[in-house]
Amino acid sequence: MSDIRLQAVDVCKTFGIVKAVQHVSIDFHKGEVHGLIGENGSGKSTLMQMLTGIYTIGSGKFILDGKEIHVKNQVEANNEGISIIVQELGTLSGLTVAENIFLGHEDRFVKFGIKNTNAMIKEANDLLKKYGFERINAADMIDRYNFEDRKLIEIVKSTYFSPKVVVIDETTTALSQEGREELYKHMERIRNEGNTVIFISHDLPEVLDKCDRVSVLRDGVYIDTVNADDVNEDDLKKLMVGRELGEHYYREDYGEKISDEVVLSVKNVTVPGVIYDVSFDLHKGEILGFGGLSECGMHEVGKAVFGASYDREGSVKLADGTEINSIPVAIKHSIAYASKDRDNESIVINQSIGDNICLPSLDELGGSTHLLSDRKLKAFADKHAKEMKVKMVDTDQFVSELSGGNKQKVVLARWIGKDSDIIVLDSPTRGIDVKVKADIYALMDEMRKGGKSIIMISEEIMELIGMCDRIIIMKDGKNSGEELLRSPGLTENDLIAKMV
Amino acid sequence: MANTDAIKNDEVLAAEEKALKRAVMASRIRAVLPIIGLVAVSLIFNVLSDGKLLAPMNIKLLMSQVYVTMIAATGVFFIMTMGGLDFSQGSILGIASIVFCFLSKYNIPLAIVGGVAAGACIGAINGFFYVKRKVKSFVVTICTMFLFRGVIEFATTNAPVQGDIVKTMALDNNVLKMSITLLVLLTAFFFFRFTKFGRYLKAIGAGEKAAAFSGIETDKMKFLVYVLAGAITGLAAFINVVKVGSVTASSGNQLETQIMIALVLGGMPISGGAKVKFENVVVGSLLYIILNSGLVTLGLTPAMQQLIEGVVFLVVVAITSDRNSVQIVK
Repeated sequence: MSDIRLQAVDVCKTFGIVKAVQHVSIDFHKGEVHGLIGENGSGKSTLMQMLTGIYTIGSGKFILDGKEIHVKNQVEANNEGISIIVQELGTLSGLTVAENIFLGHEDRFVKFGIKNTNAMIKEANDLLKKYGFERINAADMIDRYNFEDRKLIEIVKSTYFSPKVVVIDETTTALSQEGREELYKHMERIRNEGNTVIFISHDLPEVLDKCDRVSVLRDGVYIDTVNADDVNEDDLKKLMVGRELGEHYYREDYGEKISDEVVLSVKNVTVPGVIYDVSFDLHKGEILGFGGLSECGMHEVGKAVFGASYDREGSVKLADGTEINSIPVAIKHSIAYASKDRDNESIVINQSIGDNICLPSLDELGGSTHLLSDRKLKAFADKHAKEMKVKMVDTDQFVSELSGGNKQKVVLARWIGKDSDIIVLDSPTRGIDVKVKADIYALMDEMRKGGKSIIMISEEIMELIGMCDRIIIMKDGKNSGEELLRSPGLTENDLIAKMV
Repeated sequence: MANTDAIKNDEVLAAEEKALKRAVMASRIRAVLPIIGLVAVSLIFNVLSDGKLLAPMNIKLLMSQVYVTMIAATGVFFIMTMGGLDFSQGSILGIASIVFCFLSKYNIPLAIVGGVAAGACIGAINGFFYVKRKVKSFVVTICTMFLFRGVIEFATTNAPVQGDIVKTMALDNNVLKMSITLLVLLTAFFFFRFTKFGRYLKAIGAGEKAAAFSGIETDKMKFLVYVLAGAITGLAAFINVVKVGSVTASSGNQLETQIMIALVLGGMPISGGAKVKFENVVVGSLLYIILNSGLVTLGLTPAMQQLIEGVVFLVVVAITSDRNSVQIVK
């Protein structure tokens, strides 16, 4: 009997032109906690989501206990003995705790077509008790519990049936120390039962401490698998980052003085339920970063600056005292915004590249007569699309046909065309491949040098460290305290420590 | 190995280019299809009716029927470009006609203004519920359609509402009606084509949220376009009364459907957006009236006509609707 529990064999997955996972083969053993690390976008989550049926598998196969498995969704994955605790919220609002725990397995409690709710709640309560979470009542609506408790419930949900493989995808960042200890305890239990835990985390010390072996992915490619005892943090980092990301990826300067000139000042901005009492100044020619967990409110900061928040209190003012209270006013006063929700908020998806580039600049293009000429519009669109090297047939092509990276280039082209001075970029490299990423970083550096001010909101810690002059970390909708200044010594952990 | 990869890439690229060319070709054909349809329908009915359809007398009659539809269609064209719908047009025409009749007893210019204002008011009601209360446009306008149809029926309970017959009859001449229609069309065309108004409407139709994030005041635009469409149909009420002389309970009935059929026959994408063209209004209205009139000259009963028009509408929508623009590509 071999000790291999699960094999990924030559697994690939592409999204449009982005190769998310390329020919990855990894063996996972019985009775081990197997770490899976890599930068954001390295393909680890995609790989695990294929394993658990969230995504369909591109090509290649997964072999569990010597048998190839084909799962189409999480319930089928559970039936094969595979479960996942996802990065985001993995429980469904509007259902009770018990219903969440037994989601997809309700048949166990059904007799003659009628669901025995009491039996379900009783069993769920027994499970919660067994896990030591007595304070959670299975009959309650899950909405009553906070993010952390819901994560604990998810632990119960994905492990109570003693699955052979449990995937834990970047869950620890969302948990307090107490919650983490609970999670570690159950990871250990699963391992001791002879089953396998696949543990995805950005926290390298944690990975080294808790895992037996660690596999590294980079840009969708499998790099290596090492024994946790044989390596240190730096070794892992080297494997993760590789050589490609060395020079000319992020900006390289350090110690440049930030201008004293304030171009935008945000005072006591509150958006009820999202951000509270946020204040900061944006200086000329700097890149100001915002980081935090996904629910920390940092995305709303970008919207607030752009005049796009509902019910905003407090003030957003330019240097000359102009108040920014609506999107048209923001655009008129040279503020640009690229949303995290690119397809809905950044570009008009069912329009041509040309129309998209011209849209915010129609007033300028109309000139004093306010009349638009097709020729002038086309020349304007062509110029800026070419400048951004958008991969396209021509500017009449619809943006819906472009890849994520090229869409983002169109977004940037329209604001460069508008010649905005303050640029708010929310998750500018989300879902974008390495090459376009590098282009975007280079462009940001160029804009900064040209005296433009940039607010960069990002969930990718590395790009914040690599690109920003100052970084503000948000937590629970508030500024978490002192800002972090650009320095070569700044590490991921410095930021994470402030996030959680 | 590297070589075969390169060859494969070339093949893939060639195939992609082919597919793209085909798509470009298809969209070009789709663009001229309504015009081909207009010519074909005219010729076919002309032959079937032994030349009666395009006889000078009938053309005059045809034109007199097309004005109201064409003017009202201009306003709906703007609404549909934004991705909205308007089912209340028939009721707007009816109410505006009643207001016109009533005021025509005093003064004709006042009556015209009154009709336009009445249309604009109903448009404002539509716009208010659509924009402020966030009710879907077809729900709002179906409600106002019934509501104001009720008002029209109430106003015409005892007898049809009549205007000042002498004054209105005096205005019933083709030159005036045609000039007004041309004026509306040209003004609308100018603003739609050569100012940001048209581009903003298209952007709202193609992606409302993104349009708002591009600096367009989408709510204001949506509201004003409903008011505008009401006002334009209010103007059409003038021509309507001048032609018919009085308002009955069924005045303006089904105008909304006629307009929508006309626009779709004219090649208008039902979801609006980037592919909308102003020609849709003109070609579509003509096509609809000729189809309608052709069926009459063939001696078909109104019931039969309606049936055939319904089938044609369905078929045209099914053929021309561009599935790609409805699909959301992630």
